[in-house]
Amino acid sequence: MSLSRRDFLRASALSAAATTLGIGSIFGNDAFAKAKIDKTDFMQDSKGVQWHKSVCRFCGVGCGVMLGVKDGKPVGIRGDKENTVNSGLLCVKAFYLHQMITAKNRLLYPMIRKNGKLTRATWDEALDLVASKFSEIRDKYGPDALAFYGSGQAETEETYVANKLFKGHIGTNNVEGNPRLCMASAVGGYVSTFGADEPIGTYDDIEKCDLFFIVGSNTAEAHPVLYDRIAQRKRQNPNVKIVIVDPRKTPTNKIADLHLQVIPGYDLAIINAIAKILIDENMIDEKFIEESVNFSNGSEAITFDDYKKFLEKYTPEYAAKQCGVKAEDIVKAARLFGQTPRVMSMWCMGVNQRVAGVFLNNLIHNLHLLTGKLGKDGCDSFSLTGQPNACGGVREGGGLCHLLPGHRVVANEQHRKEIAELWNVPPEKIQPKPGKHTVAMFEALGTGDIKGIYILCTNPAQSIPNLSKYLKGMEDAFMVVAESFHPSETSQVADVVLPAAFWGEKEGVYGCTERRSQHMAQALKPSGEARWDGFILADIAKRMGYAENFEQFTSVEAVWSEYIKCTKGKDMDLTGATFSRLKKVRGLRWPVPSEDHPGTTHRFTEGDPYFPKDKAAGRRMYFYAKPDGKAVIFARPDKGPEEPTSAEYPIALTTGRIMEQWHTMTMTGQIPELVRAAPNPYVEINPEDAKQWGVKTRDKVRIVTKRGSLIVEAKVVDRPRKGTIFVPWHWPESLTNILTIDAVDPGSKEPEYKVAACRVEKV
Amino acid sequence: MKNFYLTLLLVIAAAIVSYGFIGAQQSQEGDKHPDVDWNLSCQECHSEMTPDIYKDWEMSKHGEVDFGCYICHGDGQETFYSKGSDERCAGCHAAQLVEFEKTKFESCYDCHNGHTLKFHNE
Repeated sequence: MSLSRRDFLRASALSAAATTLGIGSIFGNDAFAKAKIDKTDFMQDSKGVQWHKSVCRFCGVGCGVMLGVKDGKPVGIRGDKENTVNSGLLCVKAFYLHQMITAKNRLLYPMIRKNGKLTRATWDEALDLVASKFSEIRDKYGPDALAFYGSGQAETEETYVANKLFKGHIGTNNVEGNPRLCMASAVGGYVSTFGADEPIGTYDDIEKCDLFFIVGSNTAEAHPVLYDRIAQRKRQNPNVKIVIVDPRKTPTNKIADLHLQVIPGYDLAIINAIAKILIDENMIDEKFIEESVNFSNGSEAITFDDYKKFLEKYTPEYAAKQCGVKAEDIVKAARLFGQTPRVMSMWCMGVNQRVAGVFLNNLIHNLHLLTGKLGKDGCDSFSLTGQPNACGGVREGGGLCHLLPGHRVVANEQHRKEIAELWNVPPEKIQPKPGKHTVAMFEALGTGDIKGIYILCTNPAQSIPNLSKYLKGMEDAFMVVAESFHPSETSQVADVVLPAAFWGEKEGVYGCTERRSQHMAQALKPSGEARWDGFILADIAKRMGYAENFEQFTSVEAVWSEYIKCTKGKDMDLTGATFSRLKKVRGLRWPVPSEDHPGTTHRFTEGDPYFPKDKAAGRRMYFYAKPDGKAVIFARPDKGPEEPTSAEYPIALTTGRIMEQWHTMTMTGQIPELVRAAPNPYVEINPEDAKQWGVKTRDKVRIVTKRGSLIVEAKVVDRPRKGTIFVPWHWPESLTNILTIDAVDPGSKEPEYKVAACRVEKV
Repeated sequence: MKNFYLTLLLVIAAAIVSYGFIGAQQSQEGDKHPDVDWNLSCQECHSEMTPDIYKDWEMSKHGEVDFGCYICHGDGQETFYSKGSDERCAGCHAAQLVEFEKTKFESCYDCHNGHTLKFHNE
């Protein structure tokens, strides 16, 4: 169905009016979808441009975008104003998304390494080589000599096909993805505290929230559209408060009322101190605690009194000393948390990329469980996701070494049976033991325990911590890289490089931070000889002798339809999110158990289709993923970083992102405008440190850690706290991860990118 | 005579300035940014070279969220638009599309100041 521009604008006006009047929820996404996009997922404007409904390719916010195509070419991008995630607003990366489709570094044909050099090959040559080499390794060394390393940017369907091939057919659980490097600690926190992964609330809570407690997240740069929603909430309601806990002053500080600028790696004590103040000053919800909460010290159940005793040490003064902030600021933060009726906590890599990442996640959840500020409008313990489909594809799709699709785990016999039946393989084909997590996987490439690896849509030769240690392993193993861009640090050391269709050239589903699964239309033919990743993997499966269970994958829809069967009856039920329905709507938030179900705004409470009223027996929340329906408050001790500063390495190094670049710059590095925002690699240095070291902006400095050194340009700016430097990790010519430490959280196995010890020398 | 030339100069200057506002609706072909130290970001240079414009931007909605000069003006080297264009506004502000033919205006910039982005300079 194509619409005239007049219709287009009329519908927009309706949408805008509804938003202004605050009646968007009355219409809901379905109503708008029916008005705008009926049988197709595009509309045509008066200039002959077809606008295809899609989702942004970058962060985990899940903004709706419309990709404009004319004469088979991408001609423009617009925010999708009917998508309630962003209401038409885009950030700077999305603004250039259509230009990345035709970037100069698009990989257009398969390549095979011959005599040390990547050489153009046919698809048959390349796929035969991959299949025969993988089969040879499997037969000679066993299935665990193979591995798959995927991405939170891959579509759910792509991860699903890979998972089915490697776990269900080759028979190895060595299936990982880069969400291990960013979200695994959030998964660990949600699963241990609430029994099930992913947030309880949704973005809808933002417009009802009165206090945003933001920990370890530069929301303004990492999630700009979400930041805009928070800023707008504050603009419209000046009483709304924002508290930030972070070692840096970031652009997010522009809207902050209170900033606790902690020493990197030492913020656990603050959260425990806030918990203590909440209890001491009676700002807790005793009824909620009584009904819905258990206590644990991590190894056994404890009582509320035990927990209070555990907290005795965490006075504001103790925490202030540990964390390098003022005790009165901790008290202020605690009182704001306790006295504000509606509170949302939000956090990101500053919490997750830590050896105490799961603990810190638990501690944030504790605050919401103590106060009952959970499962109701304007309240949530809400983890922000880094990648567009880390939640949908990898966490829900089971794309990590211990998981199976539909929030299942390999260690559970029943889960293995259920998935084996769906995959049409014997249950024993799926191993009960988790495979190698990401850091162990790359370590095993070095030792030779893993001899062949398939890497999809990610660039570990730049993104793995303590990089120097792992590069040789990547060079030595038989490495297949499926990518849309070349060269990347990884593709240039691969043995086979397969050209993958890029965003806009393929359809599929992304699941964002708020449990919303959204369909992305295919608007263009793949560039050159590129193919959809799902087809490439299914083709390899067939060539390895598994045709019977992959030949049905003749379309993306066929894969999605099989996948959602895995979710039936699970906490993340997507049965009602059929492909045809997703094409029409602006996403659905699970659980959505039937096609007439509207999706769920708050889990574990009234309105959640799986909320067991009988078991709940009057309780407001029932955490049904826990045996007795109770979530857990954990007594987690404060734990510092793996590598504290020392006399030899006296400065704390923290790494991160800037708004204009995405990960390793394979995409955003092709856009001159985005490059202009920060043309060269740099290190942020606090002015007091700079003065002491005699360093000025644009001087070259050498950063040295136990693992390596890097020379970059200094940027003297009052952002990192004194004694801390910040280095963005985007530029391939300046590999920041040479410096970072590969120590991992013992539970989540997520590396501590956020804290290492270093020294800085003026060059 | 001296006054005549001064007046003429002022009239020409006024015309250029006024074109800057009136003709802001579309990018101009052949725009060229002066050759500068391209190792600097727009902000690093313009905060020193054009501090008033920089301040206007900094206080604007774009400045509030750090959406830099390049969004409207290009990177300066490969792309450069001395004036913004409605088409570029529409990319991010799809919910605020205007049917100009039904109004007496021709461009987003007729109502929104180029750097403060304020509506009718309010």
